[in-house]
Amino acid sequence: MTSQQYDDAYARDRAQIEDLMARYLFALDYNDLDSFIEMFTDDAEFEFASGRVKGKAAILEAVKRFKVRIGEHYKDEDGNPAVLRHVLAHTAIRIEKDRAWTRAQWFEMANDGPGKSLKMGTFGIYEDKLRKVGGRWLFSERRIMNEFLPGRESGPDNPVRSMDAAVGL
Amino acid sequence: MVSLSNHARDRAEIADLMARYLFAMDYHDADAYAECFTEDGVLDYAMGTLVGREAIRAEALVFRDKIAEVFKDWQGNPAKLRHLVHQKALRVDDGRAWHTGLWWEMTNGGPEGSVATPSFGTYEDELVRVDGRWLFQRRKIYNEFLAGRESGPGNPVRTMGEGR
Repeated sequence: MTSQQYDDAYARDRAQIEDLMARYLFALDYNDLDSFIEMFTDDAEFEFASGRVKGKAAILEAVKRFKVRIGEHYKDEDGNPAVLRHVLAHTAIRIEKDRAWTRAQWFEMANDGPGKSLKMGTFGIYEDKLRKVGGRWLFSERRIMNEFLPGRESGPDNPVRSMDAAVGL
Repeated sequence: MVSLSNHARDRAEIADLMARYLFAMDYHDADAYAECFTEDGVLDYAMGTLVGREAIRAEALVFRDKIAEVFKDWQGNPAKLRHLVHQKALRVDDGRAWHTGLWWEMTNGGPEGSVATPSFGTYEDELVRVDGRWLFQRRKIYNEFLAGRESGPGNPVRTMGEGR
């Protein structure tokens, strides 16, 4: 297994990928699905609790259904849809020219606690593949693992190992 | 190509190290964890001070058991523990670096399997760049919830790199 070569290109690409990952979460949490879907390659694959879909049109439909379910599941104590935020924490990023991979910790929080207080939801990791297309990094695959959903947990092995192993494939 | 500032490059690389460190720790990968340290690296944390990569590797092999004693889910099983690092203040000087970062932790140890957030603290680190990659030469982990392990009271960023 080769290891990451750290150079100026790494820092520049990492900054761009971090920006993409931030934009993704704002688009998702603020229901901006036009921006959301533009972050994927045409042939991208998206895997989450409800299954795996391929292609932008299928991803968009899946995310629309996901947003409806979230609105039903997360409610504040008055029964209104909760204000839900997904939060990105540390991110390991592997970059090889115009391809990249990530393993990133996420968690979620909402105003669905007692008295509309902050309540932590669940947490898990993103396992991503990215491609640089026309000078812009895009997701070609995003797998969303959730430690609170049976069958969707990450690990048990260190997920960074499968990321580094993927480089040679 | 115009070269990026060294700080931007070093910050990107050290952020990657921080993430790899946490994944290695939380998924009990003792080898990957130890590889984040220099051969003479020091880990100073709540359960002891380890000197040298091999001592750190040996300690990392028993993290799982030590953590299982402290963190349990509501049914008494070992909890899933995740450490997170947020803002990272960094001083870099000629192949050496000093880092102060805020960490916290979360588990599935809350009531009926919900999220619990047991503690937070700081990482106060010395790093060196060895063969093209940054490594921890010393990591001291402070925890505001353990008597004697609290950070401060002074701003830890003020003393980064002091006495170098």
